Amino acid sequence: MGKNKVKTSDIHILNLAKLIFGPQAILYKKEDLLAYDCDGFTIERHLPRAVVFPTNTEEVSKIVKYCAENHLPFLARGAGTGLSGGAIPLNNEIIISLVRMKRLLEVDLENRFAVVEPGFVNLKLTNSISDKGYYYAPDPSSQYACTIGGNVAENAGGAHCLKYGVTTNHILGLEVVLPNGDIIEIGRNGIPDSPGYDLLGLLTGSEGTLGIVTKITVRILKNPEAKQTVLAYFDNIEDGSQAVSDIISSGIVPAALEMMDKTAIEGVEAAAFPVGHPKDIEAVLLIEVDGIAAGIDDQIELILAVCRRRNVREVKVARDEAERGRWWANRKTGFGAMGAISPDYLVQDGVIPRSKLPEVLARIHKISEESGLRIANIFHAGDGNLHPLVLFDSRIPGETEKAIQAGSACLKVCADVGGSITGEHGVGIEKKEEMRFVFNEEEIKAQTDIRNVFNPDCLLNAGKLFPTPGRCAEVKRELASKS
Amino acid sequence: MVATEPIANLTAIIAEEQLEAGGFNDHLLGNNGRITVFPKTEQEIASILKYANEHEMKVNIMGGGTKRGFGGIEESADILLVLEKYKGVIEHSPGDMMVTVKAGTTFQELQNFLAEDEQKIPLDPPLPEASTIGGVIAANDFGPKRLGYGSARDMVIGLRIVYPDGTIIRSGGKTVKNVAGYDMNKLFIGSMGTLGVITDITIKLRPIPKYESVILLSFQDGNLQDIHTFIIHLLDSVMEPTALELLNPALAKKLTGKSAFTIAISFEDVESSVRYQVDYVKQNIVHSANSSILEQSDARNFWDAFANIPPNGHKADSGNETKAALKIGVKNVDVLQIVKESQLLEDSHHLKVEAHGGLGTGLCKVHLAGASDDVVSAIQSLRTITENIGGYAVVTHLPLELRQKIEVWGEKPAHFFLLDGIKAKVDPKRILNNGRFVGGI
Amino acid sequence: MMSIANTEQKPACTTGGLGNYLWSDPPKENKWADCVHCGLCLEACPTYEQLGQEQHSPRGRVHLIKSVAEGNLFVNEAFADPVFQCLDCRACTTACPASVDVGGLIEEARGQVRQAMALKGWKAMTSKFFLETLFPHHDRLHAAGSLLKFYQKSGMQKLVRKTGLINIMPEHLVEMESIMPEIKTPVRKKYKQEQVIKAKGVTKRQVSILSGCIMDVMFSDINEATINVLTRNGNDVTIPKNQTCCGALHVHAGDREMGRKLAKQNIEAFKDSEKVIVNAAGCGCMLKEYPELFHDDPEWQEKAKEFSAKVEDISKFLYDTGYAPPKAELNTRITYHDACHLAHGQGIREEPRDLLLHIPGVEMVHMPNADRCCGSAGIYNLTNPEMAGAILESKMANVPEDVEMISMGNPGCMLQMAVGVQKYGRNQRIVHTVQLLDWAYQKEEEQGSGQDGEK
Repeated sequence: MGKNKVKTSDIHILNLAKLIFGPQAILYKKEDLLAYDCDGFTIERHLPRAVVFPTNTEEVSKIVKYCAENHLPFLARGAGTGLSGGAIPLNNEIIISLVRMKRLLEVDLENRFAVVEPGFVNLKLTNSISDKGYYYAPDPSSQYACTIGGNVAENAGGAHCLKYGVTTNHILGLEVVLPNGDIIEIGRNGIPDSPGYDLLGLLTGSEGTLGIVTKITVRILKNPEAKQTVLAYFDNIEDGSQAVSDIISSGIVPAALEMMDKTAIEGVEAAAFPVGHPKDIEAVLLIEVDGIAAGIDDQIELILAVCRRRNVREVKVARDEAERGRWWANRKTGFGAMGAISPDYLVQDGVIPRSKLPEVLARIHKISEESGLRIANIFHAGDGNLHPLVLFDSRIPGETEKAIQAGSACLKVCADVGGSITGEHGVGIEKKEEMRFVFNEEEIKAQTDIRNVFNPDCLLNAGKLFPTPGRCAEVKRELASKS
Repeated sequence: MVATEPIANLTAIIAEEQLEAGGFNDHLLGNNGRITVFPKTEQEIASILKYANEHEMKVNIMGGGTKRGFGGIEESADILLVLEKYKGVIEHSPGDMMVTVKAGTTFQELQNFLAEDEQKIPLDPPLPEASTIGGVIAANDFGPKRLGYGSARDMVIGLRIVYPDGTIIRSGGKTVKNVAGYDMNKLFIGSMGTLGVITDITIKLRPIPKYESVILLSFQDGNLQDIHTFIIHLLDSVMEPTALELLNPALAKKLTGKSAFTIAISFEDVESSVRYQVDYVKQNIVHSANSSILEQSDARNFWDAFANIPPNGHKADSGNETKAALKIGVKNVDVLQIVKESQLLEDSHHLKVEAHGGLGTGLCKVHLAGASDDVVSAIQSLRTITENIGGYAVVTHLPLELRQKIEVWGEKPAHFFLLDGIKAKVDPKRILNNGRFVGGI
Repeated sequence: MMSIANTEQKPACTTGGLGNYLWSDPPKENKWADCVHCGLCLEACPTYEQLGQEQHSPRGRVHLIKSVAEGNLFVNEAFADPVFQCLDCRACTTACPASVDVGGLIEEARGQVRQAMALKGWKAMTSKFFLETLFPHHDRLHAAGSLLKFYQKSGMQKLVRKTGLINIMPEHLVEMESIMPEIKTPVRKKYKQEQVIKAKGVTKRQVSILSGCIMDVMFSDINEATINVLTRNGNDVTIPKNQTCCGALHVHAGDREMGRKLAKQNIEAFKDSEKVIVNAAGCGCMLKEYPELFHDDPEWQEKAKEFSAKVEDISKFLYDTGYAPPKAELNTRITYHDACHLAHGQGIREEPRDLLLHIPGVEMVHMPNADRCCGSAGIYNLTNPEMAGAILESKMANVPEDVEMISMGNPGCMLQMAVGVQKYGRNQRIVHTVQLLDWAYQKEEEQGSGQDGEK
């Protein structure tokens, strides 16, 4: 640790190093940069020009201004757990890592908001206020590591957004460094509906293409009085998906309604947090209801009845918080757990109207058969948010491409039934061509028009989110060769 | 005969019986048109806008007309586009808990339709019988139950919008989660029709609660400290009120017969849960408060009456009285102060004041009636108080003449260039609801 | 695990290198292949917490290790830095959904680095002195111990502190010096004449103990306590003569060759033992991982597997075999720190806590992030003092104010935590779990035999 000793002939790196303070505040050697060549999406890799670690908004603004003035591409990065490649430096960007801006600045319980810096880890917010009975609702599976800044960029979801909504429903204010270096503040003091177009809504989920968020005001919620969690095993995936629809249409709004199929169960049971799911079942549902204790038993009874009507093999209610915790750990580490049964996976994120679940699952099964690749399904069934995990081995020539094709085919199926190509992971690099499955040329232009208002020179996170225009579309996606 | 030429051209686009020369229901609120058009299809809307855009004609958009007093500084635009004939449910999928509906459908019609399947749009905006769903979304309107259910931005999942040049754009889709591209829905919600004409709206639904009650707590001695203590306690408890609305004495008198600061607390859930929560409130109220409980249909009637208190732009203002309405946003607990300050205006400004605010949302609505000068002065006074505590005040209803004098949206925000930049990209000729929004957008 | 169809790809040679790993025993492909780069390990990593940099995170290190194998990076200084900044605390393995053996990869990578280039400067001196000159040699350790003892007893310690001689020592050594435990007689010396230390009462089992290198010199009272607790619970105890340092520090430092040498000696030394009881978490973890050292040597790997199966931490052994909870009350408020190599390395978390909670009068206060590394990490606190200090600072912030003792199961942690207590003006006593148990037994005996009951 210590002062920044920078030895390089790159004048921009020397200049940038002067703008920021702190130990190792800039990385520029290849060995250090290599770890920044991808995020949670590992199929494409590109080296950044440098990585800088500002510790406050002014430093971010200075860096951005410098980049803008010198026409250097740049992008922001949080924990790098994103699954669509939003933080991958396609254009040899300067990466502005926000992980050192990780303070919890304010908690106002009376007015139910908290102010955090973008590098603050999602789960830490809940941990910081749980002793007072409060929590932060959005809970992406990566919440142990992902930052709230990243959550804002991706409009992250999570298992409990069925009842409580996604990140955008919990953002009350943002401080943003615009691509020209200006600092603006939207939404003050946690007060909703500030006059003007809803820039909070627009920035949330803009995948770091409109500005760099440096301060975030989020809504915090009171813990529900009671929670009950149910695990239901089905011998048949149709029954499982039908039970999902039945639960929702019975008038219950579960806090979470998750599903895993047989292949997924094999993975989570082989990994670090097995809970003893039977190996021979086709689907497991994890259902959670919360709210006023007096009302919960009725809902549980109703859920149990629905499951039985749909031929559930076994259904059980978590005995205590410890058991509930184990069930959730098993589910939440599900993606990473695929490492235990496959060297690589590609996770997709299609979303469909709930009622199309049986049809879409059957079609995904067919894609798996045709491609010869196994596809595990771990998903937020209540939201209709599918996560087909295409299992493959990148060391086998051609298999990566095959996996990408299979993933894309899954998204096509989702789009065809009136759904969308991404529910919570974002478009990033990964799905930019698939944007055409859901938007036409004019609709994409409507969006790039908005981008151009904020980011006219396209220096900030260029090449993401939107398909390559016009004739370039047919150019085959270039893949970083992995062998 | 200046007006006949555009009419003649418009008949090429739209049937003659859907056109009217002159404005609609002329009155003091403005936001009228020199020609009024009643499209029945999205294609007609697109054609009209395309025509208007090509000829640089200004277009005002109207649903039920309840918000004609909200923003805008012109008496009339070239065209008034009235969407009341563009109505009906396009698709309702009870299993998916969502509905797609045409913008001109009135809010009440839509709720009645959904109620057949025990479902509802979880919004409770004012004037549901006259307001259209499109208008509610475009103005981002809401009611007291926003505390429990959120606002339009939390439930709209898809829109179809006709852009000023006639292009039809879809945003969002038919899924409850969707992060493909920018969240363009948000851009149009609350944009006051300045970016496009919202035609179809897809909304997430909720089941109609199995049981509901309202507990009314009236504080006869007007001790706001007692209210504060109680509210902090309730908000810190695990109770889940769907509304927690503070009413000033005049409004309470109108709705409950008792003239006192009153809190209306709504609970909606299964019966056992509602009863438990009502009991909790009863056991925890301070001594100075009187409580009464309304259950089921009584509760619903209470909220129905509540929804009909604001001034209605659909009806021409009558008499010499000037009416105004404000939306005020502050921190949750500052709602107490705003409602109190509003109450004080009754004497200081000789006004009739009906004020209420969500103690869990920080959003207040204040209705003023009285002499024009007093109304203007009261608005300025409230705005000053609000801004001093870090909030904002928007005037949501005011006669045209006063709107031309008062900046109803308040000062331009520092990032106005972004708002104006968006407007300039989407509507470069500024034909749609020109001047109706923040900073004259 | 997966068969690679195309065998003419880069050869994964068994004896030579892999990619840019040019030496024997390179990081194993099957270990990194499980990593899907999900990032759930990030927050578990103490160095990532401090620096926020990917190359100092578990997945970042795995990525770099893999990059060398893929030929995108060379084994050089820049690669060595992140690999050696790792504390080898294994918290990432606990956090990892796919249980990627990051610790194993790091050790193998360090082996490559050490073979590729020699250490320089202060680190080299420290490392060489402790690892080569001192730890493997009992006689020298004892001599050093005696010297320390002399230093403490002779008044020289006072002199050094008074004269300001201490001011010219590097700061972290000053901190270390000030908390040096009082040196007592090593158990190996004490029980030199006894073949078997007999169980008190009926003999139920026969066990051997690893007396440890530094443990027996600096913490011989803990070894003493271990023997007492074992014999108290029906175990005959032997201390096999030819045993040596476990080699953990060498393997952590990349000296796998020395590691293998020491491992072989220990495997031989404990050949006839039924059970090998360890009271130092770091050593226990190493002994259990001996098979990892012999990937290229099937014969010794087999022996190592047999040996490892016999190894058990004292806390788990007592918990599993059943022990008599003491009857005397200790009346103290304590907290418990999970040694990394106990919690993350061996998955032992509940057993020591259970032991402590069953001592009458012991009240346990929860320490937040109890399984976060304290920064000791073998001799990491000597080689990477700044990082170790920063990590210790976060650790100490979590130690509850109102406890009298901090209990744990690893001597390295004990020294580091003692530095922490001293440095941050706290007053907790640092104890080994087995010591508390032993004290309770002693008190019980005093009360049982003595007439005056209470002390």
